[in-house]
Amino acid sequence: MSSRIFYVVYKEFIHVVRDRRTLAVMFLIPIMQLILLGYAMTTDVDHIPTVVLDQDLTSQSRDLIEAYQASSYFDITHYASSEEELRRLIDKGSHRAGLIIPSGYGHDLEKQQDAQVSFAIDGSDPNVARTAFAAAQTVAQAQALELAGERIGLNLETLPGVDVHTRVWYNPEMKSVNFMIPSLVGMILQFLTTLFTSMAIVREREHGTIEQLMVTPITPLELILGKVVPYIAIAFFDLVAILLIGVFWFGVPIRGSVPLLLAISALFLLTTLGLGILISTIARTQQEAMYLSFFTLLPSMFLAGFLFPLEAMPRALQVISYVIPLRYMLTVTSGIILKGVGLRILAGEVMTITAFGVVIFGVASRRFRKRLE
Amino acid sequence: MLRRTLAITRKEIIHILRDPRSLSIMFLMPIMQLILLGYTATTDVEHLPTTVLDQDRTLQSRELVDAYRASNYFDILFYVATEEELGRLIDEGRAKAGMIIPSGYGRALTTDFEASIAFVIDGSLPSVAATAFSAAQTVAQAQSTALIEQLYGIDVEQQAGIDVRPRVWYNPDMKSANFMIPGLIAMILQIQSTLLTALSIAQEKEEGTIEQLIVTPLRSAELIVGKVSPYVAISLFNLIEVLIIGVVWFGVPIHGNVLLLLALGVLALLGSLGIGLLGSTVAHTQQEAIFLMFFLMMPFIFLSGFFYPVEAMPRVLQWISYLIPLRYLLIITRGIILKGVGITILWEQAAALALFAMAMLSLAASRFRKQL
Repeated sequence: MSSRIFYVVYKEFIHVVRDRRTLAVMFLIPIMQLILLGYAMTTDVDHIPTVVLDQDLTSQSRDLIEAYQASSYFDITHYASSEEELRRLIDKGSHRAGLIIPSGYGHDLEKQQDAQVSFAIDGSDPNVARTAFAAAQTVAQAQALELAGERIGLNLETLPGVDVHTRVWYNPEMKSVNFMIPSLVGMILQFLTTLFTSMAIVREREHGTIEQLMVTPITPLELILGKVVPYIAIAFFDLVAILLIGVFWFGVPIRGSVPLLLAISALFLLTTLGLGILISTIARTQQEAMYLSFFTLLPSMFLAGFLFPLEAMPRALQVISYVIPLRYMLTVTSGIILKGVGLRILAGEVMTITAFGVVIFGVASRRFRKRLE
Repeated sequence: MLRRTLAITRKEIIHILRDPRSLSIMFLMPIMQLILLGYTATTDVEHLPTTVLDQDRTLQSRELVDAYRASNYFDILFYVATEEELGRLIDEGRAKAGMIIPSGYGRALTTDFEASIAFVIDGSLPSVAATAFSAAQTVAQAQSTALIEQLYGIDVEQQAGIDVRPRVWYNPDMKSANFMIPGLIAMILQIQSTLLTALSIAQEKEEGTIEQLIVTPLRSAELIVGKVSPYVAISLFNLIEVLIIGVVWFGVPIHGNVLLLLALGVLALLGSLGIGLLGSTVAHTQQEAIFLMFFLMMPFIFLSGFFYPVEAMPRVLQWISYLIPLRYLLIITRGIILKGVGITILWEQAAALALFAMAMLSLAASRFRKQL
């Protein structure tokens, strides 16, 4: 039996190696994703390009502008001379915020009256807008507090109060890449294995070569195992590549046990390979297989908490996320890599991943056998 | 010439209709993306599961816990007795934040007017951590202000101050669906059409049927136009589908001119078809075409500003983003739908798209002809 599997593996390897370009892509995709996500995914918003319309032109208005500039949230890159110009710059998108200081601002402050400024924020990207909104108010509050303090002869900012010592665990600098690497490990495993397995099997059927394999003494199980082994090998190769680049290039610390991570990844592959085989029993053409793979991959990506935090989603989607295997895998990878926790804490996730794997792979191989008969 | 092109188009439509499952997925995919992006794409985290270790157990410590609870950012779900327990809850991921009020907090506050607490945040998801971080500080600051008022008998809020009136333009409720749906329209125009074009030609190549087409009196331009026009129709249909669901279901307001959006959408579509054709001249099999397109589209999605603002990226990636047509298209779709701006503001982006489309189409056509 094992020699028969070996021959199928050998045949599949030849297929994979013959197609140099696809092979290269298989290795390059994870690396590209890593670089793109490692560098391009910055959820922390600062240096928002800001335009200022100072109609007051007093030392007080200049103080306020300086306070905004110093806050690091806003980069004041342009001074507009009219409201139309300010509007136009934000319309164009070259600036995302506009500070308007009306004339009389300094005068009001001197007379100890409330002074008003307005702050226009481009709300099209809500994540940027929220930060800008909060920062606009915080900076002005600090400035007002300083002025009030000057008036009553106290430095209100250094006054006593409740002091919060915030400690950020696991990822003290809150670097996005530290979160991306563990997530990418789970993503790549699912993406590569599901897509490649389903397409490899469907291609065999499309070209009619699967009938040739069936007349040989190979059993369906041997055929499945033989066909998926090369993709398991590639997935593991990619996984190790991601970890190495993550550690040596991006400086991501791996705090937990790497063998444990690999072991649970292997367990997770049962689910993703199962999905690939399942898709291959449904799809008749390679195009269909690709579509169906994307159809399973997209909700996985979004509902596993990969791109956006689960906590911020509507309740109904949070409930759906419980049937997404990748969700549990992400808890495992970030648990092992960032938190350094072990099997004792991850036992629940590992059991869930195993259950998913057994069920999906079981159903898939049964359907596969039936289709062959 | 028109007759021959139409014949090819008819053949392609028959192909598409024969595979109703792929067809239905083509129409369902944008709807799924719409739901996923419309509902999930927000980093606005509230109600973080939080655990409290109150070693003080005084009136003051309870007040502080209440202040955190009232802030809407933290849901106090667990009270623990030891630091180990607190650590375990965060390790397990059941709590994302932990607050430690040391014993003596209440006394220090009443005698010295100064006390400190510790706040632990799970940093593994940075966007959540950043929100928790600033919320933790803000709540404590409010407490401090109350203390100052008590201490000096002044009402800080009543003091003459600077009144900032932030006005959020274009998307006053800061809804993520309003941001994501114009983006999705750009994505469909760019990615779906590119992929479909590349695949349909790669399929003919893989099955060897392209030779049969070559021996007919068809010219290559007729072949291309005939083959891609059904996919243009599908992409435009999807665009309208997304636009309608976006407006009716998600309540996205369209502030600008829909006709301008469609016109510039077609311009972008030409560029996408060019990339798809170019891809099909490089790829020999459907699998290769898929991976090639995927390889190309990844940077498109992440560097165009679809998810994350381009300004926040490293300088080198910002330069690369100038080569990505999706970058310009996103400015256009968001500009027209959300900002309601017109061609006078968007002409640079439109020119960039036109340039891109011309370059891609002529490159693809010359390569395609050579191959045939």
